[in-house]
Amino acid sequence: MYDFRYHRPATISEAVDLFRQCDDGQYLAGGQTLIPVMKQRLASPSDLIDLARIDELKDISATESAITIGGMTTHAAIAASSEVRSRLAALADLASGIGDPHVRNRGTLGGSIANNDPTADYPAAIVALGATIITDRRRIEGDAFFTNIFETALEEGELIRAVEFPIPERAAYAKFPNPASRYAIAGVMVSKFADIVRVAVTGAGPFVFRVPDMEAALARDFSPEAIEKLQIPAGDLNADLHASPAYRAHLVSILAKRAVQAAKE
Amino acid sequence: MTTVEIGQALKRSEDFRLLTGKGKYVDDISLDGEARAVILRSPHAHARIVEIDRAAAAALDGVHLIVTGQDWLAEGFGPIPTRSAVNKNKDGSPLSEPPRHCLAIDRVRYVGEAVALIVADSEKIARDALELIDVTYEELPAVTDPRKALADGAPRIWDDIPNNLCVDFELGDEAATKAAFEAADHVISLDVENNRVTGVPIEPRGLVGTYDAETDTYLLYNSTQNVHAIRKTIAEDIFKISADKIHHIAPDVGGGFGAKNSVYPEPALVLYAAKQLQRPVKWIAERSESFLADTHGRNQSSKVQLALDSDGTFRALRTDTVGDIGAYCWTIGPFTPTGGSARTQGGPYAFETMYYSSRAVFTNTMPMDPYRGAGRPEGTYQIERIVEAAASQLGLDPVALRRKNLIPAEKLPMKSPMGLDIDSGNFPEVFERTLALSDRDGYSERVAASKAAGRARGFAIAPYLECTGGGPKEFAGIQFAADGTITLSVGSQGTGTGHETAMPQILSAKLGLPVEKIRYRQGDTDATPLGGGHGGSRCLEVGGGAVVRATEAVIDKAKAIAAHLLNSQADDISFADGQFSDAKTNQSTPMEEVVRASFETGRLPQDMEPGCLDSDAIFERGIISCPNGCHAAEVEVDPETGAVAVANYWIVDDFGTIINPLLADGQVMGGVAQGIGQALYEDAVYDEDTGQLLAGSLMDYALPRADLIPNMVIRYYEDAPTAKNPLGVKGAGEAGCCPAPPVIVNAILNALKPYGVTDLSMPVTSEKVWQAIHDAKP
Amino acid sequence: MPTISLTVNGQPVTEEVDAPTLLVKFLREQLKLTGTHVGCDTSQCGACVVHVNGEAVKSCTMLAVQADGAEILTIESLANNGTLHPMQQAFHDKHALQCGFCTPGMVMASIALVRDNPDPSEDDVRQGLEGNLCRCTGYQNIVQAVRAGAKNMRD
Repeated sequence: MYDFRYHRPATISEAVDLFRQCDDGQYLAGGQTLIPVMKQRLASPSDLIDLARIDELKDISATESAITIGGMTTHAAIAASSEVRSRLAALADLASGIGDPHVRNRGTLGGSIANNDPTADYPAAIVALGATIITDRRRIEGDAFFTNIFETALEEGELIRAVEFPIPERAAYAKFPNPASRYAIAGVMVSKFADIVRVAVTGAGPFVFRVPDMEAALARDFSPEAIEKLQIPAGDLNADLHASPAYRAHLVSILAKRAVQAAKE
Repeated sequence: MTTVEIGQALKRSEDFRLLTGKGKYVDDISLDGEARAVILRSPHAHARIVEIDRAAAAALDGVHLIVTGQDWLAEGFGPIPTRSAVNKNKDGSPLSEPPRHCLAIDRVRYVGEAVALIVADSEKIARDALELIDVTYEELPAVTDPRKALADGAPRIWDDIPNNLCVDFELGDEAATKAAFEAADHVISLDVENNRVTGVPIEPRGLVGTYDAETDTYLLYNSTQNVHAIRKTIAEDIFKISADKIHHIAPDVGGGFGAKNSVYPEPALVLYAAKQLQRPVKWIAERSESFLADTHGRNQSSKVQLALDSDGTFRALRTDTVGDIGAYCWTIGPFTPTGGSARTQGGPYAFETMYYSSRAVFTNTMPMDPYRGAGRPEGTYQIERIVEAAASQLGLDPVALRRKNLIPAEKLPMKSPMGLDIDSGNFPEVFERTLALSDRDGYSERVAASKAAGRARGFAIAPYLECTGGGPKEFAGIQFAADGTITLSVGSQGTGTGHETAMPQILSAKLGLPVEKIRYRQGDTDATPLGGGHGGSRCLEVGGGAVVRATEAVIDKAKAIAAHLLNSQADDISFADGQFSDAKTNQSTPMEEVVRASFETGRLPQDMEPGCLDSDAIFERGIISCPNGCHAAEVEVDPETGAVAVANYWIVDDFGTIINPLLADGQVMGGVAQGIGQALYEDAVYDEDTGQLLAGSLMDYALPRADLIPNMVIRYYEDAPTAKNPLGVKGAGEAGCCPAPPVIVNAILNALKPYGVTDLSMPVTSEKVWQAIHDAKP
Repeated sequence: MPTISLTVNGQPVTEEVDAPTLLVKFLREQLKLTGTHVGCDTSQCGACVVHVNGEAVKSCTMLAVQADGAEILTIESLANNGTLHPMQQAFHDKHALQCGFCTPGMVMASIALVRDNPDPSEDDVRQGLEGNLCRCTGYQNIVQAVRAGAKNMRD
């Protein structure tokens, strides 16, 4: 690891101010991706701004129609939250399947989505649930947040304060993990709201995407059979050691059906 | 006081240390003034080194030494020779052995090859310096597939070695086999691939080396499986000094599986640096570095042919293998795909004749060396796949076909057509016991349950026969102290395998002395004058044999003392159950009393002195033993995603005498888990175009996890101990990973039979299963 | 150089650390607590698992400075005057370790698992240990040990 200066602000404004003063600052959330990357010397920020002691980033709060989760809430805390479990079980399930228990104890919602790893789980939830990312300066619609592989709509120094998840009528996440890393080879979150059905796919492409054909079919008939014959094109999907684009396309169909089935149960 | 028996499930004495964080692995050793070494490795599969500019790195504060291949050559150090037992071609000419130096000389031949050594005050400074070394490479065409490497016109890894052929090999009767094939009713052919895997002991390799100028001697702590042989090579072949100039210690070793059995370049580099700098030098591999620079195993492509009659009787077996050995002849690399895979061809089946031919081939990849089983798992996979294919193609019941062709018990002892001395066992009995264990009656119900859950269930059974290996000779020494402690030193070595428990257990059982008084020494060139270390499932066979021989020497001497104590003649004294007795006088005295007396001049015969019971022995195995057994498994396949889960696993193994069933179970479970890993997950695959290792970290190389390995039901067949060693043991360490790959793959094929799938290659990933189902669809 | 104050195995510790120092390196090299091991560089193997404020954490994926003010427990904290912790005892009884290198992380992970789930099923244990790799045992005896250790801890 290269050397860097370490900061531990107590408030959001202090963190954002610190970032402005640094040459090449980087927020440190749970560190479960950033630290391995720095260990491999693939990143060399001049300053790390640790968000762990900013209490206002860790709240889980709920209204009738939405649950708002602080950016520094760990996967484990989301998985264990009774609020999330009872009203947005699909998100708790998703969180409980990220990495492993030790990673879930450190890794955070905000850190994960800011990184936008193509194989991360949360982007599927953000997009499928139509979540809103609340930053230190604005609100960003989930659909507009993920812009490319490892890229987001976040501006330089912009800090994720929380994510607001609308509560759907039904939702479920189905994931096919990479046997080595346990990241998603493909993961599909399906949600059904009164006025819309969303299908969001992670792991399969360069970044999360929706499947309009499936959404339209499911809006007509929210059942696995409704999307039985729908295949997404393999063309732009990821190819790696563990899965070809064609296999990923196939998995997306299977996982979507399974997610719909699970959402109905 | 506790004396223990052979066969007792004695819990391990090493556990307390290891469970409380007090184990001492190499990285736990820190010496004052220690410098840190790192290795600059090749980023290219094949390239000429045009220039190495080290100026910027050398100028960095805290950098003390940078060594390149040319520096190394200038020191006059020798290359590391191969010890492959197969060292001649079929025509009698020697195998092609290019020089393997500790650092690449002018040319790199695989990604990860050591190019330069950097030593600095800290690991961080050393890594900073590594990044500042500017190597100019001129890339050369590379080849990573051994079949392509053999072709005319393929890139040459060594300019003077045509077709990249290291050695060709044959065993068996080619003409008789050909005749049997011509006479047989059916010939079944199958291309069988054993995928490239690597050991991945959870402790990465590591070293701490020191040099003492006053005595001109070195001390090396090394996470290795074999202190004596490796010391000899480093001293005599590389440094050209006498072996006793190096004190070589393996402290607690965090797993090996063959990957720590080799002579690697790093130990000599570290010792050299320690001498140059006159300070201790430490090197610890990072995991991603281990994937590049630990030896790999398997990677054999074989054409297997089985000749059989219409009634299912096997007539002959013919196998032709292309075996990858990587860019160099590593320690015994050329042996694995040649002699290593040849000996147990045909498994426990009766064949009139067999013929095995193979070629060991250089490629631009990390060299190969033994990985748990080293040739026998490959052979087991070949025979079990072809037998299953024969049953499938001829419409025969795979269980009945196997049962029909197993070597009958009354045929033993016998020599196989491959020259293997099969002295003991009962293959049909072991097979039937495995079938009985595997609850065939409940199978249809389990199939129905799987089907109801949308899954396809399959079953397979795989009898196997393998053999041990490794150095044939072993030393054991027993030393008594006046306070009652006993030191047992053995030249074989455990790497987590429980020798610290099993070897004292043998001593305690044989001498009737308390096991908790026994201190165990291993993995130290000062502890034993010779030692063959760990490998080839040899340790209980030859190490345990040496312990028995040493206890016999103790008993011989102790009889004289006992006779003296009992006022008897030594000839009248017998020893049993820890007691020396004279049947004539009906008097007896326990071994412990004799040991006490051995330290009291007044109680000793005149010609004996205190400490006289100390005894050494060397046991040399004449013939390797033949562990065998039978495994059965059921798998569930999700035909939609292709995901495979191992549902059940049953085992009956014949390891002869079981010394400690707890430890034997551990060996079997671990071996099977590695076999399942090879069958379903692990693949050390290189990119054919770039020669880069694609599975270069644990993010991509899939090691089995707790939720992927099934419970195993294990039984032992103990009615056929071997007479080849004093304990009657047949090595247990590698057996598990022999039958596991074929039993898993065959069970998957069985599950997928209704889908028309007839072949799959390891690792059987979910994508391959899905693709096979997809392709087989009409 | 930052200074951190924390509690390690019940003992207060104040030390200067370089900002890039990983928690595992701090424990092993500065505090000489070498029972916590490093088996990989991608946060997969779990040999380095320790408890930070009661939670199982991969100490190779956390900076020492992040542990400022925390309570850390390592494998060295478990046995009491030569008496093994019930989970360590279960690992011994069930032959759940061979080379012992993954064992400290495995035991620390198991204790955390059982604290969250005092009577885990076999499946719970197998899922719960997905962050810990063992290459020697095939996991079967580890799974049995964790369930036996859970029982020991309940009793």
